[in-house]
Amino acid sequence: MISLSDFNHDHSQGSIAVSVQNLGLTYTTSIDKKPTLKARIKSLGRGKKHTRTVKALNGVSLDVRYGTVLGIIGSNGAGKSSLMRVISGIVPPTEGRIEVHGSVSTLLALGVGFNQAMTGRENVYLGGLAAGMSRAEIDANFQAIADFSELGEAIDAPMRTYSSGMFARLAFSVAAVVEPDILIVDEALSTGDAHFKAKSLSRMKELRTADRALILVSHALATIEDLCNEVIWLDKGTLMARGNPTEVIAAYREFMNVRKSASSDEDV
Amino acid sequence: MSQPVIVYEPFKAGLPPMRAYLRSLWHRRAFVSEFARSELREQNFGSVFGQLWLVLNPLLLSGVYFLLIYVIGGTSDEIRFGHLTATLFLFYLIANSLTGGVKAITSGQRLILNTSFPRIMLPISAVVVAIFKFLPTLIVALAIHAILGLPYSWQMLWAIPILLISVVMALGMAILISCINVYFRDISSMLPYLTRSLLYLSPILYEASTISESIKQYQIVNPIFYLLDSWSRVLVHAEAPTTFGLLHSSLFALVIFILGTYFFLSRERDFAVRL
Repeated sequence: MISLSDFNHDHSQGSIAVSVQNLGLTYTTSIDKKPTLKARIKSLGRGKKHTRTVKALNGVSLDVRYGTVLGIIGSNGAGKSSLMRVISGIVPPTEGRIEVHGSVSTLLALGVGFNQAMTGRENVYLGGLAAGMSRAEIDANFQAIADFSELGEAIDAPMRTYSSGMFARLAFSVAAVVEPDILIVDEALSTGDAHFKAKSLSRMKELRTADRALILVSHALATIEDLCNEVIWLDKGTLMARGNPTEVIAAYREFMNVRKSASSDEDV
Repeated sequence: MSQPVIVYEPFKAGLPPMRAYLRSLWHRRAFVSEFARSELREQNFGSVFGQLWLVLNPLLLSGVYFLLIYVIGGTSDEIRFGHLTATLFLFYLIANSLTGGVKAITSGQRLILNTSFPRIMLPISAVVVAIFKFLPTLIVALAIHAILGLPYSWQMLWAIPILLISVVMALGMAILISCINVYFRDISSMLPYLTRSLLYLSPILYEASTISESIKQYQIVNPIFYLLDSWSRVLVHAEAPTTFGLLHSSLFALVIFILGTYFFLSRERDFAVRL
């Protein structure tokens, strides 16, 4: 909840950017589709349980140092996105403690804050402001954003006329010009066509500097191996392995294959 | 090693660190105005006819009520029509804040789940939208005042503090109801009945002075009764508001605002999980 321009610290390589200590996260989700007053009154005095608990993260500890590009891998529901949300302060942890040393920018979903009725240009401002930039910062970066998105004149057309690829390109461009100390990206690299994908990948490589920490979540293991210098593997909310990308990815692949063959045996 | 800039610990009911919160809120003020603008644009108020509708809609409404009450009722004078329009417009500031605020959090799901920002900005934006809708009607109210030949005096400047009280009241109500709606989603469908009842219980279709004392004593629990009464005294009758009226409305506005904000701030870190 701290804006980007509030802190302009110099972070030396190797100093801690994010420290996650014994993190646990338990969601209490309501069983009813939506929590309503009606449902609450109906179940008054019956002692009925309204909620179900889901353990999303369990005893996760890790340090991310400046200069690191940390990749996070794991199957669906492993707790990757939950971990990202806790680190960026969107969801409070249930147990443990998180210390963040620097400004954080999150790219958890593309086009957050965009409004379909507005033009691309207006959405650059809306999305940028939602991401915590100031109007002056967006003014200064507007041309770069427009150029990066390669939208040309379409930038002044209403967003509802955009194709999904155009939408994603603009959204990524807005996020890519932010230069935070710590950047958290969740599955946002696989947008647009091959050309734009390559372009966003090279932008991520540009952002890999010694005074910045990057945390990437992706299922694209080759990309993770290419970009990251450290990888963690989450499974069902627990930290399975951490270390060298090649080794962790190999272990993950093996684990997935074992599970696959075990389940295919069951079918027989 | 530098001091941790931000620490996240398990959620406890209670206020977040207020200085950091307010600083962050202030830093994001441009987002509030831009967000409100996009909201207005989405409701087509960016176009000329959209803006015209902003004025026409309350005007037509007051025309309908005028017909209903005074023409059919047989009496009609300028003061009453002036009172009806002026109070109806202020009432819509409050009602629009409520209807905009109730879904502020639940419809901002994508934003809340993916970005970290002071959540209170969303109901505040809803009130900003309501204020933008209110401003043109204020001009209409003044035009009607001139056309009807209603009196003027320096006492009309009391409208400024009363408007401030109304904004605080609107903010408090929007913040409170946006938070309640996270926990009880059916509040948003009950809201139209709530605002409708508030409309009839408040001195809009009638003047506060015309109701009997026995009914009037219950009006002390209506948070906007004396607010609207003061507004009418000041703007329509060009008189000073009563001290009681001012005290009653400011007290209610402050209590609702403080209660709502406390409730919201102590709960907002829990919203992302509830959506």
